[in-house]
Amino acid sequence: MRWFNFSQLPVFTRLLPMIAAVLTVPVPVEAELQGLSETEMSSIDGAGIGLVLENFKFSHGTDQPDASGEQARIFRIGGIKSTDGRDVDITVNHLYIAGANSNYGETLGPVNLGRLLNPWKIDVVDGNDIGIANKAVLEFAASAMVNSDQGYDCMDSGASPGSGNCSSRPASSGYIGERADIGMQMNVAVGDDRSANINIHAKSAVIDGSYLRLWGDNDRRQMVGQFKLNFYSPELSINACTQDGSTCGSRILMSNFALELAIGNQLQPVFFDVDGSGNFELEVAAIRRPIPGEIGADGLRGSSDAEAWDFYESYYTNPEFRGNLKIGNFSVGDRDFGSARVQGMLIQHLNIKTRDLSP
Amino acid sequence: MISILRRTSLALTALLLPLPTFAELSRLGDEALSGISGQGGIYLSGDISINEMGGPIENSYFGRCDDADRKCGARFAYRLKENGGWMVLDDIRGNFSFEGLTLRVRTVDSGFGGDGELFNRDVLELGLPNTVRFNDVQFKISSSSTARPTDPGFQQTDIFSVDMRGDVVMEGSLLVFPAGNP
Repeated sequence: MRWFNFSQLPVFTRLLPMIAAVLTVPVPVEAELQGLSETEMSSIDGAGIGLVLENFKFSHGTDQPDASGEQARIFRIGGIKSTDGRDVDITVNHLYIAGANSNYGETLGPVNLGRLLNPWKIDVVDGNDIGIANKAVLEFAASAMVNSDQGYDCMDSGASPGSGNCSSRPASSGYIGERADIGMQMNVAVGDDRSANINIHAKSAVIDGSYLRLWGDNDRRQMVGQFKLNFYSPELSINACTQDGSTCGSRILMSNFALELAIGNQLQPVFFDVDGSGNFELEVAAIRRPIPGEIGADGLRGSSDAEAWDFYESYYTNPEFRGNLKIGNFSVGDRDFGSARVQGMLIQHLNIKTRDLSP
Repeated sequence: MISILRRTSLALTALLLPLPTFAELSRLGDEALSGISGQGGIYLSGDISINEMGGPIENSYFGRCDDADRKCGARFAYRLKENGGWMVLDDIRGNFSFEGLTLRVRTVDSGFGGDGELFNRDVLELGLPNTVRFNDVQFKISSSSTARPTDPGFQQTDIFSVDMRGDVVMEGSLLVFPAGNP
């Protein structure tokens, strides 16, 4: 056995370590990571979650019992009692969310809910941007309202672009649209009395601009919120039928129904609570009264404390704080009652509390 | 010996070292990379039971479902105010089963009445299973003075209860993507 010096090895063998070295060393990477400046960093914000339901259809209900008394499908809401102590049982015969032209839930087609470019959102928003100072606010929102040059009329189920503020589009010949037909057929039974069959249908419904915002209140150490419900439908109808649905009474028809309901606002949020006896309580606290002298006798800004005057001025004039209800035409059967309008409702104080009626 | 070493070296070269000349890797530009997306997704079928027979706790309040004196559903309580009462999702029980819940990443660049083309991004698509079978699913919405029904001073108001059975039609897909304040 004889060992060679490195210099005595054949040329190829001597090159081996070099080849190995070249091949195993990683080639310098050409991608480059760059630092961000403070200014760039400060403009970065987490994005929320956008949600769109595509070709969506929901339907559930209660079937008639078969020969053996079994029901294949049941959907029941119970546990409610009437004031005289009888059980109220709501049997939902049919609840649906489907595409337009469903013929009161008879033919269910798909619908899109939310737009890719203006989706439904779950987001934590900076309270300073929405008038809730120094709070992170959890927001659940439907598609936002848009400028009238980009949007669609909220009512018209044949609306064209640039006709209104709603972002959701009505169904057209080539597209299913983002406005759903929603309906609920239910049988309300009080005790053994099963006679009341009530149906509610909304055609081409839009809830654009609705939101629920939740945050915590430091002083009351409580969950507070702000709720806005916009509901537009060209036709909202209510009627009562016999239990099997074969014959129905007159239809209460509300055409061009628009509800813009605001419960709670930046100055008067809604407080949610359950009290010591186990009852749910929802409260909109009254706005604080001005300190004597804060508002001048003539009520003008010049004679008042400017900050306080601006506070009350914005509270009483901000249209965002107010609720509206508009019904284009109200009819029962073949009788027309014309249009109805409730505008500028401001909830100044509200306290809703559940009470246990069971003995 | 030299020849053995030479042969061993050759074999070593062939076995251990990749030959650089034959395979050529060329880099992909950002644009080319952005066009690449993984194929496939997840297909789920499921059967979920919640306290169908009864929960794990057995005491003076909770028990087996065949015991008429006890409640067997699950209970979920949350508090809305410091030292306040509790909102409760009570007596949650039943069984859901579904076939064909899908999960995948999809590029949306068309459709949606013209929105898709402008959107042109990837979304997470949760394909709903068309029908979900509910087997006596029920729950109650209640408000309660204490978190647990076995706590002292327990008082509860059941606001309403929901009972569902049979095939529920749930068609379509839920698309999830980042949105908001970028």
